[in-house]
Amino acid sequence: MNESFRRGAREGFRAFLPLSVGLVPWALVTGVAMRSTGLSVLEALGMNLIVFAGTAQLGTLPLIGAGAPLWLIAVTALVLNLRFVIFSAALAPAFERVPVLQRLLSGYLLVDGVFAIGAERMLASTDRDWRMGFFLAPSIYAWVLWQVFVMCGVLGADALPRDWSLEFMATIALITLLVPIARARPMMLAALVGGVATVVLREMPLRLGMIVGIVLGIAAGFVAERWQSRGEGR
Amino acid sequence: MNEGSLLSGGWLWLAFVLIALATHLPRGSFIVAGSRARLPEQLQRALRYAPAAALAALVFPDMLLVDGAIDPFNAKLVAGAGAFVVALRWRNPWLPFIVGMAIVWLGRA
Repeated sequence: MNESFRRGAREGFRAFLPLSVGLVPWALVTGVAMRSTGLSVLEALGMNLIVFAGTAQLGTLPLIGAGAPLWLIAVTALVLNLRFVIFSAALAPAFERVPVLQRLLSGYLLVDGVFAIGAERMLASTDRDWRMGFFLAPSIYAWVLWQVFVMCGVLGADALPRDWSLEFMATIALITLLVPIARARPMMLAALVGGVATVVLREMPLRLGMIVGIVLGIAAGFVAERWQSRGEGR
Repeated sequence: MNEGSLLSGGWLWLAFVLIALATHLPRGSFIVAGSRARLPEQLQRALRYAPAAALAALVFPDMLLVDGAIDPFNAKLVAGAGAFVVALRWRNPWLPFIVGMAIVWLGRA
């Protein structure tokens, strides 16, 4: 660990610190939601370690709880995580000539918040060690913070009464994620179409309605974006 | 909720592994493969809409359906709408949970 790695680490940590506060309620809710879905303490902590993704965990819990088919659980998680393909593609130039083990670790650690604060500055820097420090320090901090507060939620869930509908907190958490998304009009349309179509198509076999709904939502957003940009071009 | 139908034992852990793969393959994809690979731009634009559509596909049924039928006058819909408005208006990360859960509990009282 040389001087520029340490300097990058300090700057990355400082940039991420204010944003990291938002992880706390999110992690607590994930912990409680896993327990109120019916997972044991061991299962909940195991899921949190190997998955390490709030949205994918909260999004698949209702499916796990209802005993949905495995493929649907996997496809749902994949769709929720497709944004990471874009983040990963955007960040890739910053990881050039980085050893493959560090790149694997970085992939596991990649979360929305660190991407949001770091992508631009990492891509602008020509110092590889600084970039790695700037990425790894806040990412590892986010991982620790996440694990600690999910554990608090998992262990604290037993102290909470069973009949409080606490699993609805998972839905609220997903709703708060929709808020920044819904500020752009094509995004809002994608969400509305995806959500309404899923409700309308709920009788489809094998819960295909949800997958069809998501595809319709993506298509609606994409088409709306093209119309919008055509309108601006005029 | 749904106590009897929860995935159990090996199936549950298999589900965790699948969710983990569905998380870490996208995350690692280009970081590990390197930037020589490129995603077609049209596909990249379309993919931006996937999270919005998927989140809504998870949230809407939970708010609109009561025992499988559409019920526009249920406490969870009001609670979800309340949490959305609160999150839109204030930055406090706790507030949507407090308001949303308070409405759910009031709806049952």
